[in-house]
Amino acid sequence: MSRRGRTGAAAIAVAVGTTGLVAGLGALSGGTLALGLALVASTVWLGPRGARIAGTLLGALVVFGVGRAAAGPIAGIVLALVLGVLAYRSLPTLVMRRIAFLVPSLVLLIYTTTLLMYSAPGSPFARERASTPQVEAALRAHYGVPKSATAFFGIYMRRLVVDGTLGPSIKVQGRTVEQLLAPALPVSMTLGLLALIIATVVGLALGLRAGLKPNSASDYASMGLVLLGVSLPNFVVGAALMIVFALKLGVLPVAGWGGYRHLLMPAVTLALPYAAYIARLARGGTIEVMQQDFVRTARAKGVSERDVVLRHALRGAVLPVVSFLGPAAAGILTGSFVVETLFDVPGVGQWFVKGAINRDYSIVLGTAILYASLVTAFNLAVDLAYAWLDPRVRGQT
Amino acid sequence: MDRTLLGIFTALVAALLLVGLTFSRSVDPPADFRFNNQSEAKTLDPHLINGAPEVRLGEALFEGLARRDPKTMHPAPGVAESWDISPDGKRYTFHLRSNARWSDGHPVTAQDFVYSWKRLLDPKIASEYAYIIFPIRYAEALSTYDGHADSLHGPITKALTAFIAAHESGVDAKEWQKFLAKNQVNDPLRRESDATLEELLTRRDGPVAKGELEWMLGAFARVAAHLRAGANEARAHFGVDAGVVAVDDRTLIVELRAPTPYFMEVLAYVPTLPVPRWVVEARKEKGDWFLPEHIVTNGPFVLKRWYVNDHIRLERNEQYWGKNEVRLHAIDALSSDNDTTVLNMYLTHAIDWDPEQYPHELGAELRKRSDMILTPGMIVYFYRLNTTRPPFNDRRVRKALNLAIDRKPIVEKILGLGQTIATTLVPPGMPGYQSPVSDVTFDPPRARALLAEAGYPDGKGLAEMGILYNTNQGHKAIAEFVADQLRRNLGVKANAYNQEWQSYIDTVRSLDYDIARFGWIGDYADPNTFLDMFVTNGGNNQTGFSSSTYDRLLRTAADVSTLIDGSAPLPEGLKGESEIAALVEAARHAGPGQTLPALAKLRLRLLTEAESILVNDELPFIPVYFYVTANFVSPQVRGFYGRLHFDDGTTGPNLQDIHPLRDLWVDRTASLAP
Repeated sequence: MSRRGRTGAAAIAVAVGTTGLVAGLGALSGGTLALGLALVASTVWLGPRGARIAGTLLGALVVFGVGRAAAGPIAGIVLALVLGVLAYRSLPTLVMRRIAFLVPSLVLLIYTTTLLMYSAPGSPFARERASTPQVEAALRAHYGVPKSATAFFGIYMRRLVVDGTLGPSIKVQGRTVEQLLAPALPVSMTLGLLALIIATVVGLALGLRAGLKPNSASDYASMGLVLLGVSLPNFVVGAALMIVFALKLGVLPVAGWGGYRHLLMPAVTLALPYAAYIARLARGGTIEVMQQDFVRTARAKGVSERDVVLRHALRGAVLPVVSFLGPAAAGILTGSFVVETLFDVPGVGQWFVKGAINRDYSIVLGTAILYASLVTAFNLAVDLAYAWLDPRVRGQT
Repeated sequence: MDRTLLGIFTALVAALLLVGLTFSRSVDPPADFRFNNQSEAKTLDPHLINGAPEVRLGEALFEGLARRDPKTMHPAPGVAESWDISPDGKRYTFHLRSNARWSDGHPVTAQDFVYSWKRLLDPKIASEYAYIIFPIRYAEALSTYDGHADSLHGPITKALTAFIAAHESGVDAKEWQKFLAKNQVNDPLRRESDATLEELLTRRDGPVAKGELEWMLGAFARVAAHLRAGANEARAHFGVDAGVVAVDDRTLIVELRAPTPYFMEVLAYVPTLPVPRWVVEARKEKGDWFLPEHIVTNGPFVLKRWYVNDHIRLERNEQYWGKNEVRLHAIDALSSDNDTTVLNMYLTHAIDWDPEQYPHELGAELRKRSDMILTPGMIVYFYRLNTTRPPFNDRRVRKALNLAIDRKPIVEKILGLGQTIATTLVPPGMPGYQSPVSDVTFDPPRARALLAEAGYPDGKGLAEMGILYNTNQGHKAIAEFVADQLRRNLGVKANAYNQEWQSYIDTVRSLDYDIARFGWIGDYADPNTFLDMFVTNGGNNQTGFSSSTYDRLLRTAADVSTLIDGSAPLPEGLKGESEIAALVEAARHAGPGQTLPALAKLRLRLLTEAESILVNDELPFIPVYFYVTANFVSPQVRGFYGRLHFDDGTTGPNLQDIHPLRDLWVDRTASLAP
């Protein structure tokens, strides 16, 4: 089966599964959902030209929306036109195909999330103290959260497309979701990037070292460390670091945000499990590449061991890591609830959990959209990086 | 250089650049005082505040007619420099300071209060605390009558019409009561005094004829019309010539429905604080007037910065009339909700004050520290019993459950911070109030006897009971202990289960539970704030409990003058009948200046009688314990009172656990050792 065929089949499988899952939500919602999924899945079969056109149109639409919300309608139109033309002429079909896939997927994501949110017990307006039906009605009208999921979806989409906003947060009064996420995202990204750097450097070094001499003492030592990193949960590592560096030694602040000193402990905590995973991938990749004919040839023709490692082993080690880094980056950059709560970091991770617990529908949707867009973007980046790193993949778009 | 290495290298450099960029946002110089405010403030609009973290900030940013004296918690002059109270206790005249100003320079005027209180009562604002000023004439009418009339006209009439159609030949009273509860009929009818109506609403046995149901339909229309007229009257008068009147810029007159002993305390409480009309109106569309870029305040502090989930920076308000009394120039309020992290920050001196947050399993260990300040709180922990469901509709069963639980291990082993066993609803320490002697004790033989009497000897014939709590380790431990006690001492099967907060609220409100835990925090130091919970179909009742005697006692207590002039006789068969009659006589013949104290005494005695119905006769709940509040306060902090020091030299616990930021300061030269 071709790659495209497989993706399509997978999408249909997901469609059928999800539809079954939400069948309890009623024929209308279920039907709409199935239709939407089929539509999204069908973008996989678009031809190259179709994909380019669909990608350009949908991408321009999004650019227009964002541009207008940020700088006004005229700027939005200009931006959408310029970027649209540029994209159509110069972006690879792979990218255009992803855009054509992403935009309808997001709409579907919003719809599904809405259905699921509404089927969860409890409402954002349930309060501990008594209130009257009029109070709830007033609040529902103010926040645009009617009692029917479909009506909410309509209001939300209109707000998103026409007003270009993710809507007001219900629990954090006076702010829109974008006003909450915008300052939090760079915080999470900073922390995430640093963690990714630590994880990649440490993981690659450990994995390479282990993979070059499999089953040696240093292999076992490295892999023992890796096992520790995978199995120790974040909150244990974080607490241990806190005890040693903040409480006993007093060299780092316990928690908070404001300077690089606040960054170290959470970044290391966040990086550890990723480093361990990367080390395992890198070790496997190294072992595999070291058994290849071209390595033997290189050695036979007298290439120094250092060059063998740097030119061949490293590349073998990096490839599996790169494909892991895509989705991992999306996860790590949008923050971690545990680490952010433990170290009192004002990042995005907290909103994922708080939004759901508070039934703050706008926050739930906002974080879902953010996460989905990032996952898609990073997967795309990985595919592009692959093409750049591995000659075998190049041209196969 | 190799592509691979180059790629990794470029990514690294780009990443580091971005890391540097995020720190470019402005960083404040360190504040004089840092504390953790328990969680992120949801709002700073005084009319919408409903939690302790917001109250702390709200009372630092705004100042009402009165404020709280940190040493005594008694009302002290705020925006009003003095006030006079009429002899009948119903009319307050406030004289505002000439130098009270908003942070933008506007003077604070009497009109600001009229505007603010109208806004507080506005149903569109949907304030949870509007009821706090219902003692003011016309306030309740302004806030609720229109809504009630709408309900009666619309959904309730519609539901009753359908109900009549479905029950052509009349209906059983039990079915009728279910209908009333489901459609929240009593609430809109609460203010109407009509004997036939009252009888129909409280009928619990026998049939309800079709004719009576149809009469009810007419009554709804009549009451709705009354309510509508009442609302119109309130709109015409409140803030104009009655209720609240701004005589001039610096004189405000407040008229009460009945003497309310705790009224001055209400005026220091967040919902009654003034808001800047010109800012609120300008930001109406967005509803964000309280964000740092817009907000104007009249209290000791201004809002400098608000980084969500990080910290809020307050700075001293240079326009504040009493700025010379404010010693802190800058305050940081952090918003971490992780108990361990907050305690660690406190222990490393990163914060000076940690209210309430520490890993609770370390309570016994931490208690040894002298900087952990423990104070009895005005909070009761209890289990609601769903009195609409068998077997809980039988008061013998409810009492049996109450008598079968040994509360001592709960406060000593599970909690261990000096919490006290609760056998009543109202926590001890309410000024002037004495809770009744309670029948609730630990007495398993009597509990078993009561259960047998109700027809369930040794728990036979009882289905498994569910004990619902909102997800929390502490509640879990107690719920499981209670389940175990019921099994051991009564032979009753009970299962503790949890739901997360938003679902749990819904479940309890729709009476879809057997036993459900709750904690109730008093809004002001008066038993009324607890007892009001259990009035028939009151929004916070949530047990289905109803007693007309209880309701009448509370209604009479709200305006004891009706008892003095004989317009509302006491319900019959009260235990303390003779004692109350003596107090009525005493109030009737009190000398000049003695009437108000006599009325206050009578009022509290009526409330004691009402509480006695709850804890001795009806038991719609299982009281468990009274909270202790915990504060970690750095030894360098001054002006923090865990115990209050009254003017007469006595001391008492700071029941409300309120510590105004206005009056705190820090002596950095003092030793940090606790």
